[in-house]
Amino acid sequence: MSEEHAPRPEEDRREFAEETESLWRVTFAPALWALHFLACYGLVSLACARGLFPIGATRAGLVGLTLLVLAGIAWLGWRGFRQWDVHSTGRRANPGGHAEDRHQFLGHAAFLLAIISFIGVIFVSLPLIMLEGCR
Amino acid sequence: MTKEPSDTAPRGPFPPEEAMLAEPVPPELDAARTARLRAAWKAPTGWRYWSAVNNTEVGKWYSLTALFFMLCAGVMALIIRLQLAVPENELVSSDRFSQLFTLHGSAMMFLFAVPMFEAISILILPGMLGARDMPFPRLSAFGYWCFLIGGVFVIGSILFDAAPTSGWFMYPPLATQAEGPGSDIWLLGLSFIEVASIAAAVELIVGTLKCRPPGMRVNLMPLYAWYVMVVGGMILFAFPPLIAGDFLFELERSFDWPFFDPTRGGDPMLWQHLFWIFGHPEVYIIFLPSIAIAAMIIPTAARRPIVGYSWIVLSAVGTGFLSFGLWVHHMFTTGLPNISLGFFSAASEAVVIPTGVQLFAFLATLMAGRVKMSLPMLWIAGALAIFTTGGLTGLMLAIAPFDFQVHDTYFVVAHLHYTLFGGMIFPVMAGVYYFYPFIAKKLLSERLGRWAFWLIFTGFNVTFLPMHLTGLLGMPRRVYTYPTGLGWDGLNLVSSLAAFVIAAGFAVFVWDLVRPKGGQPLAPRNPWDAGTLEWTHDVPEETWGVRSIPHVTSRYPLWDDPALLARIDAGRYYLPDAETGRRETLITSVIDAEPMQIQRVTGPSWIPHVAAGFTGGAFIFPTFHLYWPAILCGICAVSAILWWLWRDTARPPAPEDEMRDAGLGLRLPTYAAGPSSAGWWAMWITMFGDATAFSSVIFGFFFYWTAQPDFPPPGAAHADGTGTALAALAFAAAWGLARAAQRLNRGGRREPARLALGAGAVAAAAGIGGLLLAVAPLSPSSHVYPAILCAIAVWIIAHAGLGIVMLLYCLAGSLAGKLTPRHDADLQNVMLFWHFLAASALVACAVLGLAPGLMTGGAP
Amino acid sequence: MTALACAALPWLAGCAGRQSALAPAGEDAAALHTLFIVMLAGAVVLFVLMNGLFFYLTRINPVALPLRHARLLMAVGGILFPTIVVGTLLVWGLSLLPDQRRPGDGLRLHVTGEQWWWRVEYQPADGGPPVVSPNEIRLPAGQRAELALTSSHVIHSLWIPALGGKMDMFPGRETVMSLRPTEPGSYRGQCAEFCGASHAWMAFEAVVMEPAAFEAWLAAEARDARAPATPEARRGADIFAREGCGACHAVRGTDAQGSLGPDLTHVGSRQSLGAGRLGTGLEDFATWIAHVDALKPEVEMPAYDHLSEPERRALAAYLKGLE
Repeated sequence: MSEEHAPRPEEDRREFAEETESLWRVTFAPALWALHFLACYGLVSLACARGLFPIGATRAGLVGLTLLVLAGIAWLGWRGFRQWDVHSTGRRANPGGHAEDRHQFLGHAAFLLAIISFIGVIFVSLPLIMLEGCR
Repeated sequence: MTKEPSDTAPRGPFPPEEAMLAEPVPPELDAARTARLRAAWKAPTGWRYWSAVNNTEVGKWYSLTALFFMLCAGVMALIIRLQLAVPENELVSSDRFSQLFTLHGSAMMFLFAVPMFEAISILILPGMLGARDMPFPRLSAFGYWCFLIGGVFVIGSILFDAAPTSGWFMYPPLATQAEGPGSDIWLLGLSFIEVASIAAAVELIVGTLKCRPPGMRVNLMPLYAWYVMVVGGMILFAFPPLIAGDFLFELERSFDWPFFDPTRGGDPMLWQHLFWIFGHPEVYIIFLPSIAIAAMIIPTAARRPIVGYSWIVLSAVGTGFLSFGLWVHHMFTTGLPNISLGFFSAASEAVVIPTGVQLFAFLATLMAGRVKMSLPMLWIAGALAIFTTGGLTGLMLAIAPFDFQVHDTYFVVAHLHYTLFGGMIFPVMAGVYYFYPFIAKKLLSERLGRWAFWLIFTGFNVTFLPMHLTGLLGMPRRVYTYPTGLGWDGLNLVSSLAAFVIAAGFAVFVWDLVRPKGGQPLAPRNPWDAGTLEWTHDVPEETWGVRSIPHVTSRYPLWDDPALLARIDAGRYYLPDAETGRRETLITSVIDAEPMQIQRVTGPSWIPHVAAGFTGGAFIFPTFHLYWPAILCGICAVSAILWWLWRDTARPPAPEDEMRDAGLGLRLPTYAAGPSSAGWWAMWITMFGDATAFSSVIFGFFFYWTAQPDFPPPGAAHADGTGTALAALAFAAAWGLARAAQRLNRGGRREPARLALGAGAVAAAAGIGGLLLAVAPLSPSSHVYPAILCAIAVWIIAHAGLGIVMLLYCLAGSLAGKLTPRHDADLQNVMLFWHFLAASALVACAVLGLAPGLMTGGAP
Repeated sequence: MTALACAALPWLAGCAGRQSALAPAGEDAAALHTLFIVMLAGAVVLFVLMNGLFFYLTRINPVALPLRHARLLMAVGGILFPTIVVGTLLVWGLSLLPDQRRPGDGLRLHVTGEQWWWRVEYQPADGGPPVVSPNEIRLPAGQRAELALTSSHVIHSLWIPALGGKMDMFPGRETVMSLRPTEPGSYRGQCAEFCGASHAWMAFEAVVMEPAAFEAWLAAEARDARAPATPEARRGADIFAREGCGACHAVRGTDAQGSLGPDLTHVGSRQSLGAGRLGTGLEDFATWIAHVDALKPEVEMPAYDHLSEPERRALAAYLKGLE
């Protein structure tokens, strides 16, 4: 983790390289929600409107996908929580102007987004479990 | 790309040390600098005033114009309410009534809500970021003039009894079959404005990413800036599907390509999908910026930093994502399978959570702070009361079975007005009272403000609360009249009377806004004791934005750094001078806001007006089926824009001017190319929007395949295989040549680079030829299958034409010395365009050439 | 005045009107009514909590409370509580969905949306030819009827609030809704999707009948038209033929076989005229014939205002006699 330093050439490239992982974590959880949502809607449409595959199997497959996605989001959330590092620093809000504040803030954001995405995926999977058929 | 051009790397100490900051600036030096800076940023006077491009001027025009359109749409609403006051009223005809409600909705959405967000952001965002201006002032001006022309055209149509009549959602086949130019005015006029909106969104995003003050890392950004970024991103993904829909719709209106005509394989549902993929995020595009205003006002009122900064950021981002999974809740009654409805019902309920987090973070801030109520907070209180009502009815509507009952009734009318008044009007009013001293250096009247609040608040609730019941009693929306005896009469009369109370409230507000304030004393510099950078503004007004660009180390610099204001004023920080007499601002890095470049900012000019006028012509003439004048205007618009870019953007600086002093011992380059430059980011972001629009057209193709049993129809003519293959090869070659040109130029081999640029243009032309050959056997008005293939081809051909112009522009730049091996920003930006173009062209060729075979082979 | 009283006391069923979702007369509408009442109660509680808290924090006790409490409020109020409440509501809502769209177990109807009226065909259970009777939907009580919906030009939406939710009608596509009315009576339905100039006047009567009465009505409806009984009605029949009404309208058992406009075979026994526009008195028929363009803007049918008063009356008598 670099601290304050003089401006460098290609600053953007370096900063992105430094935070690549946390930026992915921030976007990945909601992106997983979006992919899961699109997969549910798209595959059910193909099953019902186009008749490409049976709806029962589609639902079962999607429930399986849901579990995978939930596991993925939980993992991202855990990594975000670790990056936030609230236990060892005791800092919840990260309002400081140092590189580690920024780093922990990104971890916190990733953690919270994972919570929201997790709830979102659970909600979206309810119809898969509760509703049958193509009517 | 590890080579470091060391002669143009930033040099000097950063972050600045306290000793440097404490050192006073000699008064005579400061006076000279101040004079130079003032001269560089002087606003034009007299009739030339209208050539101004400063964010302060453009932002004012923009917001006043949006307010004017809002008042027009409000008058329409009053006429609507008069017509509905009593049953079987004959005040206006059915046709006029349809024009009124169509324009009321369209104007409020496209001419008020979204432009108002952009206008307010253009006005206040640079202030919050301690920037001198937006990164591309002339683009803001261009956007504003487009908005003005398009808005007057659309809203003026009602004066000629020619306004669109099919509702703001323009459902085909009603809207495609509608006679007269109404539908075309809606489609083309609003597409024009959407393009301007996207331009503004790109600029706002780039402003937030690249024009922050040094030291303002992402975790220190004002929440408003976070929201601007999220909302800008949403605009980029939400508007393009609508533009794609408009594109297909207008092809049907003008050339009878049957995209939405079920008798020739088309499907009106495709429009509903595209419209609502835009339409629902749109609601959050309107709502989030207003929440952003609240996020600035509430910490000030609570006199403490916001509680849950990261929570609010995550909610904004989360809402942005989730809002794209709600669109079908406008289509619950279209007969989709239960399980599909369930997904959208679930997502619509899930979005409540991030929305709730934002509201509870505000409550938590008020809880932990010592609250001092003020007029803006009164409006926030009203917003909360109204928005929670709208949110709670939204929760009900998201339950699909309940929506079966109240969909398209006055219950929904009540719901949406509650969310929009609570989620937009009231917070924006709070923002106007809060930010007015920042903008006009005077305070608005406390007494008139309270009058306006209570009139609007009471009038609003008395108008719209009864409408919930009117809807439950069975009154559908968009009826121009109704019979007596159904229990609706009294409720409608109450709503109509109270609507005039709202109008009275707005009259009070507008009077307060425009009344002469010459005799009134100037407002204090920081009237609310706020902590963010915009309150370092100069009173009386200076046009330079900020005297010197501060170094920031906290979220509320004015609260945390007592010396900040004096040092800004003394020109102690960055860019305190305008040595060359030019307008400049500081470009910083995206994540940590490290200073990277001094960017020259364009000044007053008439070129945005010329470009906007011709662009307007290109959109407006087709409304009347005048295609040749439209094409001529299009060519002139492109020429004007090329002239503008050629003269004023990415010009290599003089050798002695490559590096300049930015203050505090820091020397920065004045030219940047690639990811270091603001232009590269703007191109990248724009291309995301463009790719979304293209994906929407491709989605259309697959939608027909999913929804129609005979797509492609048996025995249909397909695209010509040879032409398709030729096109794919030629576009790939053009991309490769462009890439080679960029590398050769970077390596100093200018002649071969020029050759590659020319050859690339030729290859792209061959690609266009290949596509024309591919679609030659198709007759697009016969069936939707050839029509959608032709639409895809048209899309790629238009983009390829643009790609050729760009390559030739770079070639000309290279020949004229504007583009050199080091100064290759133009070529890098063009390359970005070509990455997207090549990918789209290959997808298009795959759909044209391969998909039909797979579908006819694989479909049951 | 009644309306104002209704505004104050909306849940008095008598007040709610014949087109009200708050006076359910069918299984589907009743379930949604209960759903609404529960959601409304919950919404009122949440509204009071939220705004009460704001008022407390800004007016009653504006001092700084511990940050710890504020954070707790944010986590519980922002995430935990809504997840539980909204999740429960969602589960309930989803569980209602299949019921609302259960397949029919009795009568089957085809309804086609026209600009601006309803083409209705009843499909007899024995597989006989469909019974055509436009602009009115009659349903037997206690059965789940299935309505297959389509449209000829633009999108409409069929909605009978007292019986259940609505369903859109598309050209070139069939959608299905099912309704199980429980209370015999006469209700009003209306098009809910904006469909052009006379959208406001595209309504109909929905009549729920005891099953036996319904069967009798359907059998009567299947018969050809009655011959005109009075001299005036016979004159009206001549005018009907002379003016070419049969080019658009069908009167089964006569030469009139047009299908552009509504079938008039039993128009005299309907409860409304012009898709819920007017009543069915003689005067209403005469007014309709002369002023249809004013009554229904942009309607296809021309106004027969060139007919003399006695001619109009004769035509009205003929049509009124088609019971």
